[in-house]
Amino acid sequence: MAGIGFELRKLLRRDTFSGLMMAYAYAGVISSGPWVLSIVAVLIIGIFSVPVVIPPDLVRQFQTILTTIIAASLILSGLVQLSFTRYCADRIFKKEHGLLLPNLNGLLLLVTVVAAALAIPLVIVVFPGSSLILRLLIVACFVTVCNVWIGTILLSGLKAYKAILVNFLLGYGIALVLAWGLRHWDLEGLLLAFLVGQFVLFKGMLYVVFKGYPSRHFIQFDFLRAGRMYLSLVFTGFFYNIGIWIDKIVFWYHPWTSEPVIGLLRGSPIYDLPVFIAYLAIIPGMAVFLMRIETDFVEYYDRFYDAVREGGSLGYIHEMKDEMVRITREGIYDIMKIQGVVILLVVVAGGTLLQWAGISRIHLPLLQIQVVATGFQVVFLGLLNVFFYLDRRNRVLLLTGLFMTLNGLLSWLSIQLGPFFYGYGFAVSLVIAVSVGMVLLDRDLDRLEYETFMLQ
Amino acid sequence: MAKVKFPKASQVDIMLLLEGTFPYVSGGVSSWVNQIVRGFPQWRFGAVFLGSQREDYEEFKYDLPDNLVHLEEHYLHGGQPKPVVTPCQGNPEGFDAIRRLHEWFLNHQQGILPEEMKSLAFYRDSPHGVDFIQFLHGERSWDFIAEKYRSRCTDPSFVDYFWTVRNMHTPVWQLAEIAANLIPARLYHTVSTGYAGFLGALLHHATGRTLLLSEHGIYTKERRIDILHNEWILDRRNPLQKDLTEVSYYRELWIRFFETLGRFCYDAAGTTISLFEGARQREIADGAPPERTRVIPNGIDLSRFSPLRRQRPAVPPPIIALLGRVVPIKDVKTFIRSLRILSSHIPDVQGWIVGPTDEAPHYAEECRRLAESLAVADRIFFKGFMDPRELFPQIGLLALTSISEGLPLVALEGYAAGIPLVATDVGSCRQLVEGVGEEDEALGHAGAVVPINNPQAVAEACLTLLSDQDVWQKAQAAAVARVERFYTQKRMFAEYRQLYEEGLAPWQA
Repeated sequence: MAGIGFELRKLLRRDTFSGLMMAYAYAGVISSGPWVLSIVAVLIIGIFSVPVVIPPDLVRQFQTILTTIIAASLILSGLVQLSFTRYCADRIFKKEHGLLLPNLNGLLLLVTVVAAALAIPLVIVVFPGSSLILRLLIVACFVTVCNVWIGTILLSGLKAYKAILVNFLLGYGIALVLAWGLRHWDLEGLLLAFLVGQFVLFKGMLYVVFKGYPSRHFIQFDFLRAGRMYLSLVFTGFFYNIGIWIDKIVFWYHPWTSEPVIGLLRGSPIYDLPVFIAYLAIIPGMAVFLMRIETDFVEYYDRFYDAVREGGSLGYIHEMKDEMVRITREGIYDIMKIQGVVILLVVVAGGTLLQWAGISRIHLPLLQIQVVATGFQVVFLGLLNVFFYLDRRNRVLLLTGLFMTLNGLLSWLSIQLGPFFYGYGFAVSLVIAVSVGMVLLDRDLDRLEYETFMLQ
Repeated sequence: MAKVKFPKASQVDIMLLLEGTFPYVSGGVSSWVNQIVRGFPQWRFGAVFLGSQREDYEEFKYDLPDNLVHLEEHYLHGGQPKPVVTPCQGNPEGFDAIRRLHEWFLNHQQGILPEEMKSLAFYRDSPHGVDFIQFLHGERSWDFIAEKYRSRCTDPSFVDYFWTVRNMHTPVWQLAEIAANLIPARLYHTVSTGYAGFLGALLHHATGRTLLLSEHGIYTKERRIDILHNEWILDRRNPLQKDLTEVSYYRELWIRFFETLGRFCYDAAGTTISLFEGARQREIADGAPPERTRVIPNGIDLSRFSPLRRQRPAVPPPIIALLGRVVPIKDVKTFIRSLRILSSHIPDVQGWIVGPTDEAPHYAEECRRLAESLAVADRIFFKGFMDPRELFPQIGLLALTSISEGLPLVALEGYAAGIPLVATDVGSCRQLVEGVGEEDEALGHAGAVVPINNPQAVAEACLTLLSDQDVWQKAQAAAVARVERFYTQKRMFAEYRQLYEEGLAPWQA
């Protein structure tokens, strides 16, 4: 499977405007694919059901359950997302492809057991009034979604972005169709539709791995052996996913901003909708970022390390480093530019857009700040990615830890300060994290040659 | 030889610093060390053996003398544990001193060796020095390396330059550590410059005790040959960049490094002893202060060899022996080629190659094949190790085709046993054959001197000596007279006793 950079460069080589547009569209869909598809699908399933599922409370319950499942599963699987990706990358680097499949199976078993062990007691406590079938469906959905994330990260590690996208489209497509068919069964029907969709999606991804990386062993736990996974990456993945959700969780469970939805689950009618819409607005930024990193940056990154290893002159090594710096700078500028346009659009036309979607204009100020925040989140992701390329794991750990802490604290503080400040917790924590990240990246890039040579 | 335990003592009189010789390697220098230690039973000796990697050496080639009461070994290129990677800045004063050292070396006479670099603390824990961590991981170290690469390196590959510099200098800090932990001694005696000489210099500066330097070959010159032959030194110039007449920058770098170590040692040595005048001149050119140099030729124990003369057949047998390790520096191939020429003049001529073939097995194999391809395999004999006293009565001539020699002991032993010598014009060979000074020259030629890498000249010289009884007899007479007058062990011991006593004296009170 060719890397994404290769595909993109192929499109760019046509050197036409349509080729460029295709490349950006492709990059946009791929980079934000699973994430955006999930949000869109959740929204659509909800909208679909509105005329049928009465009262609308049920839709809200469904969306809340699903959002909670997605958040909880991302946080739980976050523990192994980065660490297992790195584990796979190391195996591929050492040409131990035979270890990929059995260890994926090992990890899936582990995740399934842990997820079920956590979810079963929780559904008993959290959904006191609900039917047994609903509770079982929730457990099944949670476990399956956890597994889907594992499959997704493995396939992104293998750079099989296309396969991810196809499977997500297929899975969510099935979920949508089934949701329409099962909509009379209330919550249970919608969840079943979602579950079947996720299951197909999961199996589809497994099929790709089984076919592409056959192995004589079915299941192994090599990744659990000491020294095979980086502990710092376990924490990084955990911090990052908590960091992304902590502001939402704060708003869901702070008494001033939330209301009960189903069982003990709560939602924040004021906060949730703008946030999810804002996430849709990051697609252009993500596309630009992916293009920059996977084509230009990687090119100079490879040349830099080739020059280091294969005996380039120091002048050439410096030059390639400078190019890396330039591309990183331009990439960040480009993200800022394109997100700036998006922000402007939202500021100018946001009200109208909300009206079209039938959403109250009361959400507008929050939407505006959230679009700014998610824009910074793209920059933040970009920085983390550069740090990962430079193998500065401690930097990423520090930044994600900082972001998580700030986002939790500042979001809580924003609620104390009043509605006018809602969303600023998320935005300010990202601005701080991005600033710190830039200072650190500046220092690291400045010392890159020194650290590459002297710290070994 | 049985596995010998390393003797340990808490202090010694004389500490020998030995790089790649006694007791692991046999050969001229090692035998000489053995001879010296046994020659002075009144003093307690210690020895520090420095090697590259443990696996390069097998077992002891010598029984340790009883008065060698302390022996330790250190390997400079074996994977020693490195300090934990610690990013740091580095002391500006320390790197300034290193910069001055480089300038001192590059501009030869100008400037002086930076004082602070003489102290052990500079390498270990000085607040103004450069310790191992600073060298390995310091930012100033990086700046310095990058600066030197930019201003001096002619090879494009930076990574090669970096690792060459790092591998080359790492032993410096290891040696400082060795010096700091070494048991006390009243006198230090190094048998080469190089790493051992540097260690000696550090010890001298740290303790104030006298350092003697005895150079048999010229270390830097031998290193140069070694480096020019070595494949492990990288040369990444592509064919267009490569000028075959130009030595790769890394080879040059290594040579300069050893020359710097040499200067460091010459600067510290109380007396620099060479085996012959040519070597002394070379040392002076390399930076040894002339007033502190001195020539003490090797001497042998005549009583072990002179009786052999009576065992010799009346007519010298047409057997020519090359006594030495089968290594490129001995240029055994020229010897084999000369045998090819000789065989058409003396039908029953034989060439014996007496010495270990395991040091450079590739080269030994090439020599064997050469003998086969020249169709002289039936008259070239690889004898391996032989007791010279068993060998000498059976041969007619000794040949040395080396491209580098100091003062070869085998030549002296051969003389004592009454065997003339055909030798290349390297080291002291001309002096050994033709004599130096009026009194010596009057004794006549004890054989012949030939140019290096010239099989024809070797063959002609051997032919003259072997085919004319009269010439041979005269050469034998000159050989015996010369060794008995100038190259006795007694004479050598007397001179070293004086040096040792002087060196030990201030501390005996």
